[in-house]
Amino acid sequence: MKLAQRETIAAPAARVWALVMDLEKAAGCVPGITALTQVAPDRYRGSLPVQIGPVRLVLEGEIAVTARDDAARRATLRADAKDSRLGGTVRATIDVALAESGASTELRVDGDVQIAGRIGEFGQPVIQRKAGQLLQQMAACLGRMAAT
Amino acid sequence: MSFEFVVPESWPETLTLLAQRGDEAFVLAGGTAFTLLLRQGLIRPAYVVSLRRVQDAARIKADAHGGLSIGATATHTDVVRSSAVRGAWPELADAVAKVATVRVRNQATLGGSVAHADPASDAPVMLAALDAQAVVLGAGGARRRIPVDELLVEPFTTTLAPTDLIHSLEVRARRPTTRAVYLKYTPRSADDYATVAVAALANVSDGVLHDLRIFLGAVGPRPMRASSVEKALGSGRVDARAIDDAAALARDDVDPIDDLRGSAVYKREMARVWTARALRELAGL
Repeated sequence: MKLAQRETIAAPAARVWALVMDLEKAAGCVPGITALTQVAPDRYRGSLPVQIGPVRLVLEGEIAVTARDDAARRATLRADAKDSRLGGTVRATIDVALAESGASTELRVDGDVQIAGRIGEFGQPVIQRKAGQLLQQMAACLGRMAAT
Repeated sequence: MSFEFVVPESWPETLTLLAQRGDEAFVLAGGTAFTLLLRQGLIRPAYVVSLRRVQDAARIKADAHGGLSIGATATHTDVVRSSAVRGAWPELADAVAKVATVRVRNQATLGGSVAHADPASDAPVMLAALDAQAVVLGAGGARRRIPVDELLVEPFTTTLAPTDLIHSLEVRARRPTTRAVYLKYTPRSADDYATVAVAALANVSDGVLHDLRIFLGAVGPRPMRASSVEKALGSGRVDARAIDDAAALARDDVDPIDDLRGSAVYKREMARVWTARALRELAGL
C-alpha cells in the first residue's frame, strides 16, 4: 500500500529538516502516539493507539532511520510495529525529502506500508484511509511547528 | 473468550450503564456486525450492552401528518413489513428489502445499520436522501436530533459519543408531489453489498425536480452527496439529455476505492449510469 503526502511549509528547508529529523520532537505530530524512547542512535521505540470504528489497535514497535543524506535533505525511515492483542503487524518504509522554493519548503513523504495478520483482514481500504489521514495530520502539524 | 453481557430494560437504565462504562462498552442491537467482528477476532469486548429488552425500542409509528418514527432496534424485516412504513414511505421499505438476505434482515436493525456506519450499507444512504433525523439520547437522557447525513463521518465512525444511543430514526412527511427511489447495483450476486447504490428524492411538478437530494452508497467513506448533479439540474425542466449531462458529474462527486466489487474508475462510471437511471425514474422518463 503506497501513500504519498505533500505539504508546503512556510519556513526555510534547514529549519524544517532539523525538526523532521528530530524524531522525538516530530513524533509529537502523530496524533495519539506515546513519547518515543531512544534505544540506539537513530532508533526509537514507541506505541501508537489507532481506532477505526469499533476496532482498537495499539501498534507497538520501533522506528529507525535507515538512510540519511543531510546535504540533499532526504532520508529513509523504517517502522516495524505489531498489535499483540488482535494479532497483526505493520511494516512501513517511509521516504522523506525536502525541496526548498523561495522562502518555503515542500515536505514530501512517501510511504510503503505492509499490513499482515488480522488487522489486515479488516480491509485495506479502511486502513489506507486511516493511514492517509494520520500522515496528512502529521505533515500539517510539522508544517505548523516549523513555521512558528 | 468471555465478556460481561448486560440486558437493560429501559433507555434510562441503558444510559446509566453507558455513563459508567461507555468507553469500553459495545452496544449490541441486532448483532450482525458485532458477531462478524467478534468471530474475525477484530474486537475483544469486555462489556456488552444489549438493547434486546429495551422497552418500545423497536416501535414503528406514523404520526397524524404522515411522518415516521422507526425505533432503533426495529429490524430491517420489521421495516419492510410495517404498514406504517409502507403507507408513508414505501420507497424506504423497498430500499431496506434490498439488504443482504432474509436471515440478515430478520436480525439486523435500522439503528444498528446507522450506528455501524459501514459505507456499503443500504439503509443509511436512503435515510440520508430522505433527510431522516436520528433521535439521539445522550448522557443524562438529553435528547437531540442529528440528520443521518451529518452523523456519518467515515467508515465505521459516527459523530456519536460512547455514551450516546440512537433512540429512533425519524422521516418527515412527504408531499403529494414527492417521489423517491433507491437503486442498488449488485453485479456479483443479489445479496451482495452494492458496487454502487443511489438514493434520490425530489418533489416533482411540471417536469421540474424540486428539492432534489441524491446520495450514493458504497462509493466513498460515507453516503456521498451528489451535490454537483443536484446543482446542475437546478430548477429547470428536466429531459433525458439534461439528466445524462448532470449525471456525468456524479463521477466526481464520489470517492470510490478499488476492491473486489470493481475498480475505482469503474465505480465512478457506474455512479454516472445509476444516477441517470435514478433521475429518469424520479422524472418519470
